Amino acid sequence: MKVKLVRLLALMAALALVAGACGGESDTPSTPETVVVTSIVTETETVTEVVTETVTEVVTETVEVEMVNPLAGTTVTVFGPESSDAEAGSHQAALDIFAAQNDMTIQYTGERSFSDLINAQAAGGNPPDIAVFPQPGKIADFAREGWLLPIPDDVIATMEANIGAAWNAFGNVDGVQYAIPTKADLKSLVWYRPADFAANGYEVPGTWADLKALTLQMIDDGNVPWCVGIESGGATGWAFTDWVEDLTLRYEGADFYDEWVAHTIPFNTPEMNAIWTEILELWNTPGAVYAEGGTIASTFFGDNGRPLVEGDCMMHRQASFFSAFFPDGTGFGPDGVDVFYFPSVSGDRPVLGAGTLVAAFRDAPEVWAVMEYYASPEYADNRQRFQNLSKGGGAVLSGFLSPNLNADLGLYQPLEQSFLDILFTAEVVRFDGSDLMPAAVGAGTFWSEATSAVNGDKTVDEATQAIEASWP
Amino acid sequence: MTTLSTTGGPGLGKRTYAFLRSIPTWVLWMLVLLWTIPSLGLLVNSFRTRNAQRASGWWAVVVENPSETLTLDNYVDILAAGAQGGLWRALLNSLAIALPATVIPIAFAAFAAYAFAWIDFKGREWLFIATVSLLAIPAQMSLIPLLQLYSGGGHLTLPILEKTVTLFPDLDLAGRHVSVWLTHTGFALPFAIFLLHNYISGLPKDIFESAVIDGADHFKIFWRLVIPLSVPVLAAFAIFQFLWTYNDYLIAVTMLGGAGQNFPATARIAALAGEFGQAEHLLTAGAFLSTLLPIIVFFALQRFFVTGILAGSVKG
Amino acid sequence: MVGVVSVAVNLLMALGMAGGAGLWIDRTGRPSRTRRVIAVVVGVALGALTWWGITSVDKLETTATGVVVSILASGLIFIAANKLFDLAPDRWAVFTTLVGAAGSFAVFAMLWGNRGIDDPALRTVVATAIGGVAGYLLGTVERSGQRLAIGIGAGGVLGALAASGMRNVGLKFTVEQREFVVWPILPYIDYGVLAGAILVGAVLGLLLWQARGRRNPLARSLLLGGTIGFFFGGWLLPSLGSATKTDAFVAAVGVGVGIGAYLGLKPIPDHSARGRIEVSARAYIFLVPALGFIASTLIIPTLRTLFLSFHDARGQEYVGFVNYGDVFGSPNIFNVDGWAGIFGSKLFWVGAVLLLIGVGVSVLMGRQSGYRISFSPGSGGLAALGALLALFAVFAALRGTVFNNLWWVVTVTVISTTAGLAIAVLADRSKGESVAKSLIFMPMAISFVGAGVIWRFMYLARDVSKPQTGVINTFWVGLGNLSLSRGPGFWIAALLSLALAALLVRLAIRAWRVGERGVGAGAAVCALPLVWFAYALWRGVGGFEVRDNGDVVASTIQFAQQAPFNNVWLMLVLIWIQTGFTMVIFSAAIKAVPSDLIEAARVDGASEAQAFWRVIIPQIAPTIGVVITTLIVLVMKVFDIVKVMTNGNFGTQVIANEMWQRAFTELNFGLGSALAVVLFIAVLPILYVNIRRMQKAAS
Repeated sequence: MKVKLVRLLALMAALALVAGACGGESDTPSTPETVVVTSIVTETETVTEVVTETVTEVVTETVEVEMVNPLAGTTVTVFGPESSDAEAGSHQAALDIFAAQNDMTIQYTGERSFSDLINAQAAGGNPPDIAVFPQPGKIADFAREGWLLPIPDDVIATMEANIGAAWNAFGNVDGVQYAIPTKADLKSLVWYRPADFAANGYEVPGTWADLKALTLQMIDDGNVPWCVGIESGGATGWAFTDWVEDLTLRYEGADFYDEWVAHTIPFNTPEMNAIWTEILELWNTPGAVYAEGGTIASTFFGDNGRPLVEGDCMMHRQASFFSAFFPDGTGFGPDGVDVFYFPSVSGDRPVLGAGTLVAAFRDAPEVWAVMEYYASPEYADNRQRFQNLSKGGGAVLSGFLSPNLNADLGLYQPLEQSFLDILFTAEVVRFDGSDLMPAAVGAGTFWSEATSAVNGDKTVDEATQAIEASWP
Repeated sequence: MTTLSTTGGPGLGKRTYAFLRSIPTWVLWMLVLLWTIPSLGLLVNSFRTRNAQRASGWWAVVVENPSETLTLDNYVDILAAGAQGGLWRALLNSLAIALPATVIPIAFAAFAAYAFAWIDFKGREWLFIATVSLLAIPAQMSLIPLLQLYSGGGHLTLPILEKTVTLFPDLDLAGRHVSVWLTHTGFALPFAIFLLHNYISGLPKDIFESAVIDGADHFKIFWRLVIPLSVPVLAAFAIFQFLWTYNDYLIAVTMLGGAGQNFPATARIAALAGEFGQAEHLLTAGAFLSTLLPIIVFFALQRFFVTGILAGSVKG
Repeated sequence: MVGVVSVAVNLLMALGMAGGAGLWIDRTGRPSRTRRVIAVVVGVALGALTWWGITSVDKLETTATGVVVSILASGLIFIAANKLFDLAPDRWAVFTTLVGAAGSFAVFAMLWGNRGIDDPALRTVVATAIGGVAGYLLGTVERSGQRLAIGIGAGGVLGALAASGMRNVGLKFTVEQREFVVWPILPYIDYGVLAGAILVGAVLGLLLWQARGRRNPLARSLLLGGTIGFFFGGWLLPSLGSATKTDAFVAAVGVGVGIGAYLGLKPIPDHSARGRIEVSARAYIFLVPALGFIASTLIIPTLRTLFLSFHDARGQEYVGFVNYGDVFGSPNIFNVDGWAGIFGSKLFWVGAVLLLIGVGVSVLMGRQSGYRISFSPGSGGLAALGALLALFAVFAALRGTVFNNLWWVVTVTVISTTAGLAIAVLADRSKGESVAKSLIFMPMAISFVGAGVIWRFMYLARDVSKPQTGVINTFWVGLGNLSLSRGPGFWIAALLSLALAALLVRLAIRAWRVGERGVGAGAAVCALPLVWFAYALWRGVGGFEVRDNGDVVASTIQFAQQAPFNNVWLMLVLIWIQTGFTMVIFSAAIKAVPSDLIEAARVDGASEAQAFWRVIIPQIAPTIGVVITTLIVLVMKVFDIVKVMTNGNFGTQVIANEMWQRAFTELNFGLGSALAVVLFIAVLPILYVNIRRMQKAAS
């Protein structure tokens, strides 16, 4: 009791001192000082003078804080790959709402070369508080490296109340939850123009066989069925890997897919080679593909929007975010550009997805508070509202989908609602395999060898064998 | 290049010689044209709409209906305050990075280059070669150790003794511009010393000798003689260093990390295009805007090293 | 207080900016009223901008303040150090006083900063005073016995002063916990170990004394070695913390006495020795700031890279040369399987023939003008072009990261140097010089992100049913159409080039007759490609291909993707950027060539071309050396262009990007570091040879 009294007195004296000394200056003392005391007090008893010196400074601070919100005055930094004004802006705006409620600062920084930079930051000892990972494979690497922190139970509870287990599993490494899904992309989609289909009497295909038949029929009719382009600067080839993954899910099933991704079966099994061959045969069918850039491998993947709209081709298989790549003024829905589900082989409905997950590097109440906010429907709805605003509102697709089951569907366009419907009702959801593999493969040879195969520089066998050989 | 003498032989006639003599000028302007075409394309495209950029080449601007394809929106979009502050702020950050990162290495390198050139001390030659050979180090590999140094300080655990000595205190520099300056300074020094040494050691020996006779010490000689005489090379290096640091992307984003409010224009422009390059049409305007400033700097400093100050002052 | 300082600093910076800009404009050219007005306006505007910039960006203000303060402080220290050593030759006593005071101050300030002593301010002041007095005495007293006494006394007192106030614990910052923690200071001395350490130190001193030719008195060497041993034995070897003050006294006083005695044993140096002290000290004062930076940003990280290159991906386990084996064992990095293809390539033979012709003509022309070999721009260019083409054939056959890098080095260095020199010469004193040079220089001002966008517009290919949007493919496909159409355009182009060729041939014949051999050869050589062009146009040239069924369709070039020559298209971007650099340097060098030298050559009857080759080139030879060295190093490390444009795909990988991918994308620091070391070692010989040659040329 006595000790406490002394401390209280010291505290009040210090408060007066601080008030007198600082005057109008509202600079908060730096946080390291806070830690000083605790460590000294717990570690040694001998350093009495030092302790008294610092205690006065520090404890004042804590008390001031406790009188308001425990998060007030804190700062949390978030670093992620979403960098355009629309995405980074609405991400920041959604965070700002939470920050304003709690009188804290949350700062989002988006960089296109996030994947390389986060490696440097983590290895260099300067990571952000929270990082937005587009690749669960990297989350696993970082978690095993000991750089990421396991999520506390109360935050996990919020996450499980809002987000489906299939998505949460992407943030789970060796049975420990490290990350929370915050954004979803639906990859198993084919973009088309209903008007073109209607004019030619085509039906939306229900199975992979129907799709191949439709392709041949279109060629016979003198139409070009597909727009394909896999160029993407340093990431050229990833669009091909999406086809491979989608078809692997369809032909071989989810279990095979998981084993293939985890490399418990080799990359170049006959099954995989058959799938590669199937895709390349489809693409190399004379008249089957319109390549805006001359060849498939040199067509920027984003350049497939214009030809589809202008009728150079009838179909384009690409993820939900592709809506941003159509020419300005493109309408979406039955009257403009619409999508159909990339059909399955046997009538089931497996879905290939992608997205981002957030994981934390610093153990502090404010960081977990922000993480919990990410798991809440409030974040999903705020983000979508700003995302809509940034696109000018109206019937334009926002380019954002939330994996949050309790998100307000009213904020989404009908087409986006259909995306969410596919995502939420699918029995089998799998994350983009190249994002799960080690970077040397998933962001390296898988892309480059695929490009070689598409260009015809290598046979399928050679390409998959080279990928297998490069697995670290 | 084939400018010819009119002496010797009956000659080819006045008009032929006039033609031959004009060839260098023609060649020069052909080269200039070739060099300019790429940038011209960028400039023109920066005023065209996204759809137009994708549908036709920039030269089509001559035949197209201007009201359909020409627009200022690209500039408006990137100058508007965006997610991490508009481009203005990023340009300010670029300056705040590039100016000190130019001045600091010049100061250090000038001293060192002078010492290598004109002060006689033991091991001078070898130290110089060792310093300059560091030019060959690929800077990228230094980034992570430097980031560790800035974020956690430098500590050396002595082998066997197992006592840790702090060589560089933790100043929490990562994320601040200072960390970028220091990095640029270190990386620039070998080249700066190399370039300045080459020039300073070529200054005529007699002016130093007469200065020593007049009782000047090295410090005075450095300030009163070497610096004024080296203005051309200092200006040349200043320009290159400014351009390199201003246009640097890698070092800045690595050292600044998540501190997006401190990012320079290069990072901002790279980010503009978006994660998948949805808004790549904005890059044209951004790249052009960020190029303006260095060009102004070039024009401002050009006269220092082009007018041959050296020749005049040495003779006088 | 901080607020006032920062406002003052801001104001100073703004005013400085304004004043500087104003003065600069005012002094540019002849002063006039308009200039002065412009100067004032620009100055005020710049000042306002600086003010606004500093105050509106958070952190920038505090950073700017900190920087100005630290620059001022380090500037003061630098000048003070210089002034201090100015004193050494003539005012030795003052010098030693100041050195003594500064040395003691530094030691005590360090203890103070680490919160290691009580009453730090008082102790530091006293220590500084004692150090100063001791310095003065050692600088004036000449008798050796007295000197020794002074040294021992002062050292002992300073040691006692430190030991008496030493706390058992201090505070220091740790990285792992990112916080201040207590750390023990007082040593717990094992006297056996201490004695051993002293003995080892003394023996080392003895050996060193022997090795250095017994120049110095033996006692001093022994003392120095012993003192260093004492320092190890007293402070570094024992465990710190749970000790008595006695041990601290022993450890501190012992070291102090040792240093003091060592200094006391040294006689006062004579004037010439003082001069030597001054000069060598000056060298280090001038070098230390730069070398300090270099050590912390380059040398230490490089040592770490070397260390990592012998370890596994995460730097945990020693793996020996495995990473280096991976580097050279990988066919993606080092692949010579295609060497036989060199001799099968048309390019190689074309290059070889051109090289022979060029050299042959040069020899002929040399005989005419009395030299063994005389390269005119025409013949020399031909030879260089031939050599370059032959090398292209070689590099197109030898694949892998390492050969790509060499290809880059050869191509970019040669073309950029030649083009930069040519432009500098052509632009020199010609009309519109500064406009031309500025336009050539402009790419230097463009970032690599911008350059990537720009060259995308140059290289873009599109389905041939649509109009091309890339500049080069537009020409290429257009040429193909022209060539295949056999329409009026085809005939006009073909006849025009033939007519031009005919004119050139006529000129060549005339020139040859009147003895202008150089002009003749040049015109003849220029006519060749025109004739070839007309022939090629007739046979079909440009962007088209013939399908199996005989259909002729237009086709585009996939510049970034068609290996191996996509490498050359990437190099073109760097050449485009770097030529501004070479041109600026060459231009400055040419301007610095004394004009009387050229005049003298002209008076002796040299033609312009001869004046260029025999006067200007030798004069700027050192500059050419600098430019080539710089380019080689820079190109060897080429990274950004490859990363932006292909990221090393399609056979365009280079070492620096390979290294980045391994280390930063895949977090395999072992392999990445090995690549960095390979890169470094590959450049070293080139650098060494160049620097030695330049040093020899200078001396």
